[in-house]
Amino acid sequence: MTETTGIPVVLKTDNGVETPVREFLGQMLDSGAVDALIMPLKVPSGDSFAWILLNDAGMLDDAVPFPAVMPVQGARALRSLTRKEKGDLTVLALMRPCEIRAGIELSKLGQVNTDNLILATYDCPGAIPLQDYVNDPESSEASFKEMFTTGEPGENAKPACRTCVNFSAVDSDLHFGFLGISDEGMLVIPGSTRGAELLQKMDIQSETGDKLLPLWKSEVESILKKRTAARDIAFKKTESDIKGFSGMLNVFSNCIGCHNCQSACPICYCRLCYFGSEASRSNPEALMNQAIKRGGISLPPERIMFHTGRLAHMSLSCVSCGQCSDACPVSIPVADVFSFVAEQTQSTFEYKAGRNDGKPLPLRDFKKSELPGVHELVKDAEPGGASHE
Amino acid sequence: MKDKKEKSSNSEFTPKVVGFLCNWCTYAAADLAGGSRLEIPSSFSVVRVMCSSRIDHNLLLTTFFKGADGILVAGCHPGDCHYGEGNYYARRRFAQLKKVMETLDLDPERLELVWVSAAEGNRYAEVVSDFTEKIRKLGPNPMNSSTRF
Repeated sequence: MTETTGIPVVLKTDNGVETPVREFLGQMLDSGAVDALIMPLKVPSGDSFAWILLNDAGMLDDAVPFPAVMPVQGARALRSLTRKEKGDLTVLALMRPCEIRAGIELSKLGQVNTDNLILATYDCPGAIPLQDYVNDPESSEASFKEMFTTGEPGENAKPACRTCVNFSAVDSDLHFGFLGISDEGMLVIPGSTRGAELLQKMDIQSETGDKLLPLWKSEVESILKKRTAARDIAFKKTESDIKGFSGMLNVFSNCIGCHNCQSACPICYCRLCYFGSEASRSNPEALMNQAIKRGGISLPPERIMFHTGRLAHMSLSCVSCGQCSDACPVSIPVADVFSFVAEQTQSTFEYKAGRNDGKPLPLRDFKKSELPGVHELVKDAEPGGASHE
Repeated sequence: MKDKKEKSSNSEFTPKVVGFLCNWCTYAAADLAGGSRLEIPSSFSVVRVMCSSRIDHNLLLTTFFKGADGILVAGCHPGDCHYGEGNYYARRRFAQLKKVMETLDLDPERLELVWVSAAEGNRYAEVVSDFTEKIRKLGPNPMNSSTRF
């Protein structure tokens, strides 16, 4: 869990949790502490949300700090703003923990510049699957409200949220915490020196949050235990489901090759992906040869290869946000597979995606002596050349 | 080589093994092995790359999905990379793909990384023969033979 830096501030939540956050952010805009905000606003049709870059405090009335769904992964919004350069203005982005983590991961990949971004997040109870929300916004809002009060995802949340262990206390500049203390108010916890300076600059007159902090922490930990248990169960199931090539085929048998999972993925940013590129196309002779050799091949080819390749390419940075499952039109549990594999590949390098702990991306780094199990075949003892460490 | 008897009893299956060899060391070792008239399995196909770190995950996966039963990636010994540190990065990338294959239970033992220097012609012949033999024992790759997808 991330350590807190500086003294948390308490916001009163007599009028619900959204109003004090709106007021707090409005105050930030008015005082000039930040120049603009990135916040979700309800779209005109009312059945979804969109990220809005706003600098007019008046617009905050329409902003929804804690939306029930996550249509566009917030990290993509951050990327669209800072891909080219960091810009002159300080912008605060209020997003779910997995969106902040994806943003941090993209910053390591050179796709987001966090220099002038204040990353703010909150205790996330999970999100409602997008399709459910579009079908029935009202009952979805109701079940989200329930999730929000208990802090537990329940049955209506996205599967990825039910097994999420990074729902709170991720690396960020500011954290809105209300788990376990909802009767007393809400904590604004600085997670970095930048966050702490910002809070000081705003000079909010409130009782200190030191008293509430342990209560919040213990509640977060108790929920973390439950979610870790749920995740272990889900991982076991996924492990047996995808076992072997036949398992892979079964899980992805309905794949229609739309690549929506890739488009929705915050980490898959490559402008030119091998899949879909000219290089991935085969000429008829090659396909015929394979068909003759195997007795037949599916067309278009490489459906399973697509998912395996994506696993190999992005699993080290996967933050398990579940957008891939949400985007799948044929309900393949893509995120279950990706989370499971990501956990394995990341632990190979003792790396945790989405952390801001100074560790470089595993593939951008190496130690001279490491990974002893990688080449087993070799009677490797005899070095052939000069120096070996 | 050693198990010639077993080889002949099981001779129906000749594995298709592809080697991605670093130009500066293992490819030269292959040359040396050939020049020394060492026996190399004829089913072993060589792809020359300029550095083991040039090898992308998709290159290896495509090779598997399009018909290889085994893949050998070979580069310079740690510390000897022609470009300084390419093989260290190659090792990381390799470890990652191997872990993905392990997790998905896609016969990770069909993928192997070795270090063979330009002077090790004998070792090259040995490594290639041993690996080919290992793949022959494993049988055809399910990724491209038992399925139509």
